[in-house]
Amino acid sequence: METIFSFIQNLRWQDFIDIVINSYILFRIYVLFQGTTTFRVMMGITGLLFFQQIAVYLGLVVTSWLIQGIMTVAAIIIIVIFQNEIRGVFQATNWKNILWGIPTISRVAPAETIVKTIFELAEKKIGALIVFPGRENLYSVVQRGIPWQGRVSREMLKTIFWHNNPVHDGAIIIEGDRISEVACILPLSERKDLPSHFGTRHRAAAGLAEVSDALIVVVSEERGSVTIVKGATFKTIKRERDLNHYIDMHLGKKKVTGIVRKETFQLSIAALLSIIFIASIWSNFLRRSDTLINMEAPIQFKNRQPGMEVVQVSTNNVQLQISGSTALLRSVSSTKLYVEINLENVNIGENTFNLTSKNIQLPPGITLNQISPSKVDALIDSIVTKDFPVQVDWVGKMPPNLLLSSVQVMPPTVRISGRSLRLKDIKTIYTKRVPIDIVEKSGIIFAGIAVETPLKLASGQNETVKIQYRVSER
Amino acid sequence: MRFIRRIVIGLIAAVAAIGYTGNAGFCDPKEPSPAAGTADKLTVVRAQICEEMNNLQPVNPTAVFSVAKDKAFCFAEIDGIGSSTQIFHNWIRRDNHVAGIKLVVKPPRWSTVSSISLRETDKGPWRVEIADMDGNVLKTLRFSVVD
Repeated sequence: METIFSFIQNLRWQDFIDIVINSYILFRIYVLFQGTTTFRVMMGITGLLFFQQIAVYLGLVVTSWLIQGIMTVAAIIIIVIFQNEIRGVFQATNWKNILWGIPTISRVAPAETIVKTIFELAEKKIGALIVFPGRENLYSVVQRGIPWQGRVSREMLKTIFWHNNPVHDGAIIIEGDRISEVACILPLSERKDLPSHFGTRHRAAAGLAEVSDALIVVVSEERGSVTIVKGATFKTIKRERDLNHYIDMHLGKKKVTGIVRKETFQLSIAALLSIIFIASIWSNFLRRSDTLINMEAPIQFKNRQPGMEVVQVSTNNVQLQISGSTALLRSVSSTKLYVEINLENVNIGENTFNLTSKNIQLPPGITLNQISPSKVDALIDSIVTKDFPVQVDWVGKMPPNLLLSSVQVMPPTVRISGRSLRLKDIKTIYTKRVPIDIVEKSGIIFAGIAVETPLKLASGQNETVKIQYRVSER
Repeated sequence: MRFIRRIVIGLIAAVAAIGYTGNAGFCDPKEPSPAAGTADKLTVVRAQICEEMNNLQPVNPTAVFSVAKDKAFCFAEIDGIGSSTQIFHNWIRRDNHVAGIKLVVKPPRWSTVSSISLRETDKGPWRVEIADMDGNVLKTLRFSVVD
């Protein structure tokens, strides 16, 4: 249990997305192919994979090699042999259904309407061939159908099978409450034991029933009889009630709620198994620790207080030696690794940080072996404002007969903004150079304030000061 | 010798009687008061940067010195001296400490002076910080050395 919690806690968001995407793909494969032969073959291959892992674990070299060989060709077998079925899945549904749709049987065929119409057709000796698909997909065996997608109604069925209608000769497929395709050509049965009065319609119905789990209803044009075909069984139906019963049984209409509940449960189990399966593969990756690589990671400082600055760092990058499975390390090297240093409780000035695995966010399964250097020195400073007295920087040559007996600067102080460590050693701010040569008598002049970069005058401070001076004769 | 001593005491007493506190106008307008905690509350009564000293009095107080003058003097008159103590005249050029001169002052009031020799490389803005033994700055005087 602790291992599971630890596994979940160490998951990065990338790992989470990775598991979710692949679990969903697996789940969609189940949803799209369930009940088909392809799905059964895929399950078989999965079983082989499981046995191969056991064979490897037990050291059965030849068995393992054989199963691996079978699995290698199995992928080709699926694509080549079941290409029609696979194509059928993708052609029959749009992208929305492929990505999101869940096949349900909530739309149930209006069996009573169909049954009444079938017997009306039989009475008038109008031939009809109606297919009710089961769980298996028919698109690999049914050919050249014309998409119809019309809601089932008495008039619609009669119109389709009316003998002057161009599509009356083929079979129709009823899915839910809709006629999905008309004028379909079904595979003909090769059976020799069929009654002699059975025509092409019956032979086609028998052909489809042999290769699928569909229920086919045939209305004979010559004799006006109604026959249902399923598997290898033919049954002539005399009463509407009986036909209704067989159709309901085939569609499971009387247990719709139970079936929906059962299907929902099955889908939930499938979704859960998909997640477990992918998570198992993912954790299998984690357990392997067969590769060792060196990576350079930049240093990032976090939780900087307002105005705080990292003035100097002993190194900007550190070398990390990490180990794990090759696949995981490849994913790590494609993303960027950072060494994070927390500045939450640091002091202004020189700070030494010891680097450990806590400073690096590594995905689960990756182990940090070494960090070089293991210590980083950083000079941390903050931006402050401070008042300083202003002094005039006189230059030039004072007239020899004069004395500068007093100097007054207004304002006497100026507010400077800059790094605290830099401001610590400053006691006075000077004006720009003021030539003394021009001074002949007492007066007032203005001078700019000389502020060395990166210091600057705080906002609202004048860039010049007024200098009032008094000159006296010697 | 006795005669000179009398003159010094007389001068100090005279200045104290007049209550002169002029500082020649080139010291910082707002100086911190003497630091609390010192036994004596030293007060700088008068302080000046001058070109010469004559009879223990500053001559030609100025804010600008020609480097040709050879010497600059810092005169300071201290009051509130409870017992014999020391003060410092810290001569600083552009925030670089150039000289720290230790001077003895005696109760109750004492005038003292320090000086530095000026050289060609000393041009620029200067200040003299008058500080007590604990390093508390009692007064700052500012001047410039020019051509």
